[in-house]
Amino acid sequence: MTPLGSSGRRMRAATAGIAVTALALSACGGGGDDDGGSGGGSGGGDALIIGTTDKITTIDPAGSYDNGSFAVMNQVYPFLLNTPLGSPEVEPDIAESAEFTAPTQYTVTLKSGLTFANGNELTSSDVKFSFDRQVAIADENGPSSLLANLDSVEAPDDTTVVFNLTNPDDQTFPQVLSSPVGPIVDEEVFSADSLTPDDDIVEGNAFAGPYVITSYEINDLISYEANPDYQGMLGAPKTDTINVRYYAESSNLKLDVEEGAVDVAYRSLSATDVEDLRGNDDVEVVDGPGGEIRYIVFNFNTQPYGATTPEADPARALAVRQAMAHLLDREEIAEQVYKGTYTPLYSYVPDGLTGATQSLQELYGDGQGGPDADAAAQVLQAAGVQTPVQLSLQYSNDHYGPSSGDEYALIKDQLESTGLFTVDLQTTEWTQYSEQRTEDVYPAYQLGWFPDYSDADNYLTPFFTTENFLSNHYDNPQVNEMILQQLSTPDPAQRTAMIEQIQDVVAGDLSTLPYLQGAQIAVVRTGVTGAEDTLDASFKFRYGALERA
Amino acid sequence: MATTATPTPTPARRRRGLPVVRQLRQAVGLQRGMLVAGLVLTGVFLLTAALADLLAPYGYNQLRDADGPFGAQQSPSGDHWLGTTVGGYDVLSRVIYGTRTALAVIVVAIVLSLFLGVLLGLLSGYFGGWLDRVLVVVCDAVYAFPTLLLAIVMAIVISGGQSSLWGGILAAAISITVIYIPQYFRVIRAETVRIKAEAYVESAKVIGASHWRIMTRHVLRNATRTLPLILTLNASEAILTLAGLGFLGFGIEPTAAAEWGFDLNRALSDVTSGIWWTSIFPGIAIVWVVLGLTLVGESLNDLADPRLRSRRAADAGETGEVTVVPGGPLGAGPAGLAGIEGAS
Amino acid sequence: MTTTTTELTGEPAAVPEAAPPPRRRRSGGLGSYIAVRFLLIFPTIFVLVTTVFFLMRTTGDPITAALGGRLGPAELAERVAAAGYDRPLFTQYLEYLGQLVRLDFGTTLSTNQPVTEVLADFGTATLELAFYALVVAFLVGIPLGRFAAYARDRWPDAVLRVFAILCYATPVFFAGMVLKLVFSSGLGWLPASGRASTRSEILIQTSVENPTGIYLIDAIKTGNGEVVQDVLEHAVLPAVALGLLTAGVFLRLVRTNVIGTLGMGYVEAARSRGVSERRLLRKHAYRPALIPIVTVIGLQVALLLGGAVLTETTFEWRGLGFQLSEYLQARDFVAVQGLVVLLAVVVAVTNFVVDVIAALIDPRVRY
Repeated sequence: MTPLGSSGRRMRAATAGIAVTALALSACGGGGDDDGGSGGGSGGGDALIIGTTDKITTIDPAGSYDNGSFAVMNQVYPFLLNTPLGSPEVEPDIAESAEFTAPTQYTVTLKSGLTFANGNELTSSDVKFSFDRQVAIADENGPSSLLANLDSVEAPDDTTVVFNLTNPDDQTFPQVLSSPVGPIVDEEVFSADSLTPDDDIVEGNAFAGPYVITSYEINDLISYEANPDYQGMLGAPKTDTINVRYYAESSNLKLDVEEGAVDVAYRSLSATDVEDLRGNDDVEVVDGPGGEIRYIVFNFNTQPYGATTPEADPARALAVRQAMAHLLDREEIAEQVYKGTYTPLYSYVPDGLTGATQSLQELYGDGQGGPDADAAAQVLQAAGVQTPVQLSLQYSNDHYGPSSGDEYALIKDQLESTGLFTVDLQTTEWTQYSEQRTEDVYPAYQLGWFPDYSDADNYLTPFFTTENFLSNHYDNPQVNEMILQQLSTPDPAQRTAMIEQIQDVVAGDLSTLPYLQGAQIAVVRTGVTGAEDTLDASFKFRYGALERA
Repeated sequence: MATTATPTPTPARRRRGLPVVRQLRQAVGLQRGMLVAGLVLTGVFLLTAALADLLAPYGYNQLRDADGPFGAQQSPSGDHWLGTTVGGYDVLSRVIYGTRTALAVIVVAIVLSLFLGVLLGLLSGYFGGWLDRVLVVVCDAVYAFPTLLLAIVMAIVISGGQSSLWGGILAAAISITVIYIPQYFRVIRAETVRIKAEAYVESAKVIGASHWRIMTRHVLRNATRTLPLILTLNASEAILTLAGLGFLGFGIEPTAAAEWGFDLNRALSDVTSGIWWTSIFPGIAIVWVVLGLTLVGESLNDLADPRLRSRRAADAGETGEVTVVPGGPLGAGPAGLAGIEGAS
Repeated sequence: MTTTTTELTGEPAAVPEAAPPPRRRRSGGLGSYIAVRFLLIFPTIFVLVTTVFFLMRTTGDPITAALGGRLGPAELAERVAAAGYDRPLFTQYLEYLGQLVRLDFGTTLSTNQPVTEVLADFGTATLELAFYALVVAFLVGIPLGRFAAYARDRWPDAVLRVFAILCYATPVFFAGMVLKLVFSSGLGWLPASGRASTRSEILIQTSVENPTGIYLIDAIKTGNGEVVQDVLEHAVLPAVALGLLTAGVFLRLVRTNVIGTLGMGYVEAARSRGVSERRLLRKHAYRPALIPIVTVIGLQVALLLGGAVLTETTFEWRGLGFQLSEYLQARDFVAVQGLVVLLAVVVAVTNFVVDVIAALIDPRVRY
């Protein structure tokens, strides 16, 4: 990609400064990747090249709601609250303190003397601006819906921000401030009522995170330089210059990390690639807990014996769901299809997050996580379900990676090999899939989820409240009540207990059947350290943690 | 092109057999060799498709047998001669069953384009006027359309986004149809326009014969000389489009059918990890079929062109029938090269 | 595949029957032929724009594509409405035509960039690849074609002809995979993807004033030999994969035309004078046979532009074809429409130029 008119480019080149050029030159002159020659005049180690297959929509926080764009924002924008390395819990980032000062009032005090990299001051007015414009623009690709509970923002003085909320004591609000809707932007560079083009943001150097962007070619190559003005909790980056290269095909990324053309490969190498790289001495595969989950959604109306089918029968419908839960061999899917890049998931909140349980492991299968065909046959027989059960199962072949086909072929095989099910497996292109799944077309179907923020509630509220985004007609008033209650329970221990209880109840109902949790995997060239520190349950990959030893 | 149309039917026409058989008899030496090679490759392909159930050791969507799961990416062994894929299927079985999917696409594509192209060509040439002009412009425009883009969009539109067996087959077949209709259209239209002006049509009209019947009879008779050529091209394009669709991830779901392009797509990561058997065999299968069809097509092309026929054959005095179509180049000028390109 | 069909693109131009009736009536002058042929560009483009517009809209909208897995139906519908995609299709179509007339191609939905900028940026990459591929095609296709004609009906001819057909019969992505298997992951000689290594690209970005977007030129401008070498190394595999496809076409073309001219009267006359077969080939048959290739090059450029989707995707060569498939995945119809319109214009104009050249060379074409 070679965007930008030449004027913008020249400007860029100028702001890029001598350091980048010097570094790039020295790296180039060195030729090799292993001779750690000292970079330019900067003290923060050698430049690193990171490769990824993510895609960027825009780096304007109001205009994107996807992993690829958010990954960039995490490097260059400050947050009021953020997750420190190694923990899913939020702490003040550029804030000094943050707390509920009244049930519907969340007050944040900023550190004083904050500035953007372009010299503009960062005050409460910028913070108010950042959230107001999210709501005002409400871009169709943006994350503004995360601010549903926000009523208004006030900035009584330069360092104080008051968020007025609609629902009291919202325990997820601090997490929301660290989510894709939370980056703080410069009111002198960004437009208040429309998206700001990426080139203008880069030219305006409107960054106050750990890094600034010095050169930007969308979805091709981005160069970052450490931001000396950053005063947040993440501290100064360990490496001054980071270049990120965007790939379309994971196999090309894999070849490049193998050859040393990139130092770190993060998101997403295929399982085959990862397995092959594990046996390579030049690179190291680093695993961390992942927030991504895969699950099967049941439509309570159209599934076998569902509410609108001719033979509607809730008890039998439940038996069918339970039989599937008994039969699913998660270990086999994780091993054969994903070669350990995904791990079995036995509950709704994935491992690594506060409140995660193993609810389904105790209830279904052999109790050890394996399948149990006899239990499945029994539960179907007890409910009087005629076997084999005809089940129509849908998956998306183009949204959750190319292995979905293998994954579902295996699930079909697992269900059918016992003779209890006959599965009609179908796949649909993603946009149709997204529309049809909520139109009661699919009795049972595949979905995945990546959290907006690292709170267990993000795996519960969107799914199991009466008004949920699955629209699968699951409605359990008790669950709905408990979810709302935990949301405003300030005591952490009490709240965690409630979250665990919710999972147990839903595991009995089986609104969805969770089965896989994605691991975060980074592949680094030998000698590059720090990846293990940032592959944490915050699911934010911080370039500043990486370093070539 | 119009410079080359050979009009009058020869008496020999009565005795001629099937187009390909006749040309096989006519060919000598190297050209015969190429034609025979093409026919053999194509024949093996057709036989495999017919006998897939007998030849394939496993089903195309079989993941396990009595001894348990096959396992993914197993290297070639006694149990799996060509190894297993990343999805845990038997490579040999999928290569063999893939012939069926390929054949289905070929048949559907040819039937559709032949039918529509001939119909439109007749209408256009016969009625002339605005209909004719519009059709010609549209056909010209279709040439400029990126086939694959069309195929992808078709894949989404036709199947309602479902990668079922027939959705995938129809997507590839119909997008190829759209591209190939103009070819048939052009041949038939040219013939129709020419014959319409012939005296015998007028006289037939006078004696009360159905005008339409005469048209179709004469046009089709003349066109049969060139259609086999376009057919082979049409067929190989259909295969390549199907493979391209599969490769770009718009292919047929693996439990619904075996499809080589899909398998190649899934083998992308295997290639960079040194697992060669999952990509090489489906790839060779594609090349095999296209090579076979193209060899047949090209040989027919050469035999139809006296310049290119082997000298000995030409000396033997056998007169080949000269083509009326892009498929059969005559003039050394640009009109000729279009045909050469077409056959390539 | 795409590529080969597009090869046929040239045909309507080159084959007179394709000419619509008006052309025939106004027979005679070269001037009027050119004028009519020029006017035909517009309906061609119009038909394409219309088809693409309506087809793309049936495939779903980009908002659902991006957020379908996160939002419920109500909120999705709200966002789709906010973007105006729920209005009658025909209204949107007229609006789009209006934009096109003003040469406004819109802003891509998935990356928020003006389409014209995308066209300009990626067009250069595609041009560069097309150029390399043509070089390969020339170097391989023409000498081999000539040799095949010389060795007509003997075994080298057979081998070369089968080679030419193989070039066509091998899907470019399969050829790409095999090349990568051997030269990148096997031998480790050549890079598997991209247009330059990250280091070279950074160097080009930071040290070249007014980059052309054609990496070879930019690399030379940096004055750094390693960068030039790096850029060339990246070009080898894609150029070979795409170039061989075209080389097959050239080989056959040269062979056929040389054989054709060898059979012509003046060559026969020379032969009867006792001129050696070798000399006949070199002096009398070869040069006239090259003329049609000039027009084919035009067609091939259209082909390379229009059908490079698979080549560019295989090698992550960030050109128009690569971008087109990315935008298709994202259902970014604004971008897809823009790119297709551009391709349509390029192909239509190329066909026009080829036709005119053909008419100049061979008067029989215009009647």
